[in-house]
Amino acid sequence: MANPAKLQILKDALYEEIRQHGSATRLFAQSDILDLNIIPNNDLELLMNVVQGLTDDKLLIGTTNHHAGLSWRWRSREEAKKYTSLPNDDAVMVYAIIDEAGADGIWNRTIKNRLNMHEAVVKSTIKFLEAKGYIASMKNVEHPNKKMYIKATLRPSDRATGGPWFTEGELDTAFIAELEGIVFEYIKTKSAYRGSQPTGTAGPTKTPKRGAVTAGETTTLARGTKRSATEMSNDDAAPAVGTTRTTPSTTTTTSTKTRAIFLPMPAGYKHYPTVAEMAKFIHETGITNNTTLGEADIQQLVDVLTYDGLIEPVRVGRRRGYRVARATKQDTVPFHKRQKEREAGVGLNLSLVPGAEPLSNGLTEAPCGRCPVFELCEEGGPVSPSNCVYFLQWLDLEDVPQALAPNVGFPP
Amino acid sequence: MLVTKPVAELCALLVDELHGELPSRIFAILVSKGRSTVLQLSQYTSMTPRQVRHGLAVLQQHNLLYYHVDPGSELASYEANPENAYNLIRTGKILEMIDTSFGAAAKDVMQNLLLSGQTRILDLVAAYREKIEHAAKTANGAEDDDGIAAETNGINGDSHNTKKGALVIKSTAQLNTVICRLVEAELIDVVHARTFHTSDDILKSVEKEAMAKQTAQGAKGGKGKLELQENIAEGLRKVRAESKSLKRKLEQNGSAAKRRRLFSGLESTNGVHEEETDPILDPRQVIRINYEKCLVDLRNRRLVQYATDMLSETTAYVYGVLLKLLTKDVPRCRADPIMDVGEDQDDDNDKNPGFVTTDQILDNLKTSVDLSLGVGKAEKHQISFSAAEEVQLYPPKKKALIEEVEVVGEASADEEEDSESEGEPDYDSDYKDSAATNGTHDENGINGMNGIKGTNGGTNGTKVTFDESAARKERKMDRPTQLRQHLLILAESTQGFVRHCGRNEWTVDFVPIINSLREVELDSVIERTCGRQGLRLVRILRAKGKLDEKALPNVALMRKPELQQKMLEMQTAGFVAVQEVPRDVKADVKKSFFLWFCDVDRSLSQMLDTSYRTMVHCLQVLEALRHKERDVLETTKRSDVRGREKDTMRKSYYERYSRFLECERKLFAQVMRVDDLVSVLRDF
Repeated sequence: MANPAKLQILKDALYEEIRQHGSATRLFAQSDILDLNIIPNNDLELLMNVVQGLTDDKLLIGTTNHHAGLSWRWRSREEAKKYTSLPNDDAVMVYAIIDEAGADGIWNRTIKNRLNMHEAVVKSTIKFLEAKGYIASMKNVEHPNKKMYIKATLRPSDRATGGPWFTEGELDTAFIAELEGIVFEYIKTKSAYRGSQPTGTAGPTKTPKRGAVTAGETTTLARGTKRSATEMSNDDAAPAVGTTRTTPSTTTTTSTKTRAIFLPMPAGYKHYPTVAEMAKFIHETGITNNTTLGEADIQQLVDVLTYDGLIEPVRVGRRRGYRVARATKQDTVPFHKRQKEREAGVGLNLSLVPGAEPLSNGLTEAPCGRCPVFELCEEGGPVSPSNCVYFLQWLDLEDVPQALAPNVGFPP
Repeated sequence: MLVTKPVAELCALLVDELHGELPSRIFAILVSKGRSTVLQLSQYTSMTPRQVRHGLAVLQQHNLLYYHVDPGSELASYEANPENAYNLIRTGKILEMIDTSFGAAAKDVMQNLLLSGQTRILDLVAAYREKIEHAAKTANGAEDDDGIAAETNGINGDSHNTKKGALVIKSTAQLNTVICRLVEAELIDVVHARTFHTSDDILKSVEKEAMAKQTAQGAKGGKGKLELQENIAEGLRKVRAESKSLKRKLEQNGSAAKRRRLFSGLESTNGVHEEETDPILDPRQVIRINYEKCLVDLRNRRLVQYATDMLSETTAYVYGVLLKLLTKDVPRCRADPIMDVGEDQDDDNDKNPGFVTTDQILDNLKTSVDLSLGVGKAEKHQISFSAAEEVQLYPPKKKALIEEVEVVGEASADEEEDSESEGEPDYDSDYKDSAATNGTHDENGINGMNGIKGTNGGTNGTKVTFDESAARKERKMDRPTQLRQHLLILAESTQGFVRHCGRNEWTVDFVPIINSLREVELDSVIERTCGRQGLRLVRILRAKGKLDEKALPNVALMRKPELQQKMLEMQTAGFVAVQEVPRDVKADVKKSFFLWFCDVDRSLSQMLDTSYRTMVHCLQVLEALRHKERDVLETTKRSDVRGREKDTMRKSYYERYSRFLECERKLFAQVMRVDDLVSVLRDF
């Protein structure tokens, strides 16, 4: 039997060697440890003693693995110290189980069932560990009502927090909406041409057209570089002044008024923004100061915009970009600027969401299309077209008392 | 056309609106009771047979009736024609369409035809002659209140239009020309004996004939059946062709377009020159409006509107010209399942609209249209020509509801192949690429596509800078190039407005585009009723199929409770549905999967039903208004007041009257708007 001092030396040597050979998640089987050549003569009994000693010190964790059989992982000394400093076995067991759960955290009920302890004991132990700062309570988005615990040194995993879209276990809709607005604005300015069109001419007629392109706009387009959010907002502040020219053939009348309008790009346009470009843009502007958004996250956002019908995917060659849908109907004033205007009390009648006014048809305009009692409405019934208050309102016939027609707003 | 309760109600209301209460009541009875004889009708309506006959005559005159006489029987049985009754709603729309594409004279003729129902040419000519003479007599005079046009046409509401101006038809020869043109455009066709037979009756009789022929030859088995099918289709087509007899006769004399061309492109309304060339139509022929062809033109209009909504006005105009050329020989929107079965073999034209070349479109564009509008500008190196000019020989196989949402940089296998075979090695080499193609294609094809160096595209190598001079050059981009840009935009659109089916050849796949239009209509209803988030959820379900309730919030980036509320709201509205799938035999609700899905077809048919009911409601509201204002309306019917309402009526009365008229106009306009939707959902 080796003396304790020698055992201690061997333990330290083995521990250090194991640490050299892999991360804390690597499993070391018996043969692996022997191959480290720390244990002299491959003495199995000595090996057992050394490993036992390390395990007692919480420096090694024994696990059984289906392929390799019994094997071990190492644990850092600081971590091990936490274990050894715990006063009783209950605390060690509870801490171990929380430690095992890792970044996903564990439900206190699971701890109780797994350890088969009394609830009061688990409670008091958890309280003790929390007070010591070893563990912390957390919230899981998938089970918001469960009380979960996690090691205090770890950050909850993305699965538990729900990824970058969650703040404190709640879906951060304000953040998402804001970011959607920015991404949409980015796509809009990148995928459509900001030109001008004569106003007051219904239908395509030949009107002397001013080719109004802001100098800044074209250069950025030509460079194809990313622009910051501040630059984006400047687009509108600098109106079409840079290069105002007239058609050589029609030099007579230049007095026709023009309005800014987004125009679709010619077919085969190669610079529709891709998700990678959007991610880069978001990253460079630093809008999301403490959240990092990967391409997959931006993809999610872009998909939502696609489903909203605001943008559409377009493939040119092998490039998969996105462009704004219904370019000519888009608002040329950036969304965030509109928002500021709203705050200042201007343009309150405009819609709050980004994108063009949704299409409408006969059904959505008539009172019937949005009538709450449409199913009941029939001549001779309690509600009938002949006594319909909504229709009277729609036809501007009678000033119906508001009480009669409760909060059903029809589009103008 | 499936006649549901709201449709029946609507048709009766429409007949009432245009032709009065008596025909309307008979029509309603006919719809609800089915085929009936005069005696049965008088029983159902408790009217005398005399009254019933009066009503039937009116209905017959307007082609709202089918009749059937069993061989050997003396009694005719009558059946309602709901298609034509529904088409009454489109009166105003058709007139407006004719006005814009054929001119005021054609509109006037069409209006008279609509008002008087099917008419012998002789009678029409006589009516016009009388009108012309009357106008000549009172040339200096006060007013020309002619017999036909004075009848106020409620639906279009601009009947005074024809009264105010001078006569639009100035001679019978001009009238003849106008009718010839309309016949050639297939907007007017000939009434023949079988026009008044229901399609079922015609099918039965044709089937009988074919069977008789078949048994004589004695063919049996699968091949025989196939032959029978073809014979039936052939027979039906023959019946259908009967109504086109007039057109064929005209074509034998050379079409109007040809004749007109001889006059070096004079405006066609300029009837003086054409007098001699147009053949005089057989005065005994009875003509009527061909709604099927009208619908084709209305569909074109709707598609142009769609393109305006999605792209730009100029592009939509180009699209309109393309559609007009393409559908010149398309007789109806949808092919008949029985009749057109064997037609593919003998002539492909009917089913497949063929194609239009760029030059044809160019020839038909109005010179006043500035094609430089409506397209953004991009520099040459920013455009991938091979992608833009991609030719798609075959129509898309299956239209995905939403374009497959793809992950960036992960091209699916077939796409990879595509771009490889196109031979587009890299984006940067595009410039060279296009320069190379420049030589092979016709001079204005690809050359100017870039938009910058339109006129001197061949000289490459110079650095393209977006400065003043470059911009000026761009202005000079020639017209064919500008046109091509618009066409390529249409071809590239996600909606698939146009298919580039060959070099400089363009065609439209109507089925997919109409399907996408239907979806857009549905989407706009969803968005207007359930908000943008509702639309988002529906489109997610459409793209992904059935989706678990738990998976939905992640995709939609919405909070769970909000999402659930939205889904319930939409379930109530019938846009989505839920399916419960138990995990095990116990079917524990807590453990079950809840799969949401949306059935587009069901939503669409539900929307159609809602549309019918909305129209019925609009007309009923109008009826209620009329009842309310009956005292005013009665005064306006007095002969001394009529036409001089403003001067003769008391001020308060007149105000009520004008307000009523405004409401009436609004309600009719609304009915027509809803009809736009119905056309898209049902007829196109």
